Amino acid sequence: MNRKILGFLPFLIFVLLCVFLYQGLFGNPRELQTGRLGQTMPSFNLPDLMDENKRWTEKDLLGEVYLMNVWGTWCPTCIAELGYLTKLREQGVKIVGLYYEQAYDPDFGDHFDMNALRKEVDTMLSRAGNPYQFNILDLERSLALDLGVSGAPETFLVDKKGTILLHHTGDINQRVWRSKFLPALEELQ
Amino acid sequence: MIPEIGYFALVLAMALSLLLCIFPLWGAYTGNLRLMRAAPSLALGQCLFVLFSFGILIYITLTDDFTVAYVAHHSSSTLPWYYKVTSTWGGHEGAILLWLVMQSSWTALVALMSKSLPWVLRARVLGVLGFLGVGFMLYTLWMSSPFERLLPYFPVEGRDLNPLLQDPGMIIHPPLLYMGYVGLSVSFSFAIAALLTGKLDNTWAKWSRPWTMVAWAFLTLGITIGSWWAYAELGWGGWWFWDPVENASLMPWLVATALLHSLAVTEKRGVFKSWTVLLAITAFSLCLLGTFIVRSGIIVSVHAFATDPDRGLYILSFLAVVVGGSLALYAARVSQVHSEGRYRFASREVALWLNNIFLVVATLIVLLGTLLPMIHKELGLGSISIGVPFFNQMFAILIVPFALLLGIAPMLRWKQNKLSPLAKKWLVNVALSLVATAAWLFSNYEQVSALTFMATALAVWIMFSTVSDLLQKISLQASISEGFKRLGLSYWAMVLGHVGLAFVIASVTLTSAYSVERAVAMKPGDIATLNEYQYRFDGVKEIRGPNYSGHAGVVTVLKDDELVTELYAEKRLYDIGMQFMTEAAIDDGFFRDLYLALGEQMSQGAWSLRIYHKPYVRWMWLGGILISLAGFIVLADKRYRRRVKKGAQA
Repeated sequence: MNRKILGFLPFLIFVLLCVFLYQGLFGNPRELQTGRLGQTMPSFNLPDLMDENKRWTEKDLLGEVYLMNVWGTWCPTCIAELGYLTKLREQGVKIVGLYYEQAYDPDFGDHFDMNALRKEVDTMLSRAGNPYQFNILDLERSLALDLGVSGAPETFLVDKKGTILLHHTGDINQRVWRSKFLPALEELQ
Repeated sequence: MIPEIGYFALVLAMALSLLLCIFPLWGAYTGNLRLMRAAPSLALGQCLFVLFSFGILIYITLTDDFTVAYVAHHSSSTLPWYYKVTSTWGGHEGAILLWLVMQSSWTALVALMSKSLPWVLRARVLGVLGFLGVGFMLYTLWMSSPFERLLPYFPVEGRDLNPLLQDPGMIIHPPLLYMGYVGLSVSFSFAIAALLTGKLDNTWAKWSRPWTMVAWAFLTLGITIGSWWAYAELGWGGWWFWDPVENASLMPWLVATALLHSLAVTEKRGVFKSWTVLLAITAFSLCLLGTFIVRSGIIVSVHAFATDPDRGLYILSFLAVVVGGSLALYAARVSQVHSEGRYRFASREVALWLNNIFLVVATLIVLLGTLLPMIHKELGLGSISIGVPFFNQMFAILIVPFALLLGIAPMLRWKQNKLSPLAKKWLVNVALSLVATAAWLFSNYEQVSALTFMATALAVWIMFSTVSDLLQKISLQASISEGFKRLGLSYWAMVLGHVGLAFVIASVTLTSAYSVERAVAMKPGDIATLNEYQYRFDGVKEIRGPNYSGHAGVVTVLKDDELVTELYAEKRLYDIGMQFMTEAAIDDGFFRDLYLALGEQMSQGAWSLRIYHKPYVRWMWLGGILISLAGFIVLADKRYRRRVKKGAQA
């Protein structure tokens, strides 16, 4: 190959890379799986985190717009967003927690202590703020899998009929709330 | 008032940087010596103002000035003073200011130590460094100032430093890493200055080499400490995760390693010139790309950094100007460069050329693995994830020819060699390595997989070849002490670097193959056995630190009924952020680490514990330290010392 063309090759490769980086910057990489958008909440029947005799199903949630927030005490970002979420609750936003336990491994279940977890959650929520109406315990991660959850925190916005309008990966803060959730909520009205 | 003075000092530094960028470059272009002569004092002035500004940030952090947003978000009054200092680079804005401190210090050092360079070259090098300084300072002042106030409402207490960062490793890891990153900007500036001047002779390589060497040594040390910190602090017993943020520091390291070897060829033999320049540009470009990846949020990483598309856009624009500009300059100039030296296939030139190929391929693998998921999505092909197995497999394949070459290459001479006498030596070394590896592994372990054997043998082979070459070279001299003196520090550096790599390969192999772990639930008095050690759980005691409380599991380790050590595995709850942290207890040793992490409290006074036995894991960091030592040793080389002295007299 001609020496001159060869010399230009690094430049051309770099320009191409820049195009992708630019797109990636505005392509919102945090919206990973959008497969669930527009579909209804998958059906589930799961216990309450604080009271295993109480069970929740998707039907209990119909009739109200709500946020489903996937979180865990092991996840620093989740704890960081508790404060802002609590403020939202005070403004009348209904928030349901989907508790995602990391320490529990179905093949390794004997090391898991439910009481310790409840105590931990209780301390955490009383100190950092409690935004939740209630928490659903998804020990086997069946609902999380159905929803396409890849980590925590993640939040779903669900309308009265149980349709998923939004799937947000990462924490909710003022910026995210205003730019993403508020427009979606306004569209509903 | 004081934070504002810090900001104002940065504004002044930025003004001086701007002049440092314009005056010398313009002077070199027009041949105006007076303009060129302004460069060193501008460089020093800029450095002083940045240092002053950084001093102010440290001061306001130590005095708990929570009216400053950065201090409120990253420090607290209960934080011990040394972690307060650490917190000045624990967040995005402060980290960028630390970058500026490094950048301006390197620039000032270059200004001080380059007195024997021709003025045109010196001015251009400093001018390019000034340009880079402007880019980063503008960014700091415009969108990332650590001096921003939270007025009129400010918290009475700060949010504390992320507990993950409250670790001795974190005190030194970022400064070392940045020393390396920013140091590569010096090699970059030399390359650009040489391209601008149009004289790509070996003088350029000679000048660039010691600077590159030091930057690379710092980068090596920074990565090593980072890996050690992940191991000691994250509590999962691992040392490398192939996370985008880790990859961002590995890529410039790989290219800088290639650059070091290729600079040697360019300096000594006058070949590979355009390739070496390209490597110098690439190494620093990858530092900028890494910064972009880490700071823009373009790629989701487990490391929580402040991410913001506006900042990302600025860094991308800066990246486009700096890298795009220099690659365009390269394209325009490269066709005029001609190689002088001639060489045959069996020569050190070809060996080093192959070394470069391997290192660049390794870099491409990391780059692709890091960026491909994003590109894939942008092309509309859906989400894919490239994980640890991909990188492990690719590197496992690549290391085989690389390690084989590494054992052979140091014995080759420049230009050409007769292979048959060398081949005999190599065969002896191969046989010795196989025997030694077999003796080592089979006497220690019942099961040895083919892969483990091969990888260990490669490490042993590097060790044998390096040491046998060293002995051979010493034996050529009149006496052993004469041999030690004659060999020269560059040679010793090579020995150290290669031996260090052998340690790393052996460690990665053996610790991956033979680490064992057990998760157990233990009540006080219970004993768990792992390998030849017994772990007796003596219960849990309450602990209280300056800004956290928690429990420590007390475990007595016994071997054949003899006390080995007592370990305290802590579980901390930090007061302010309410974050739980696992502080693993480690009994380190040359041949093995006993590693213990405390889990949850379970019913009836039992606790869950994870016990790890990690053979040879410490060799990894020992290897990393040896490798970086190689870089620092070269600085003491007479060739460079003499020139500095000569420069001081001029």
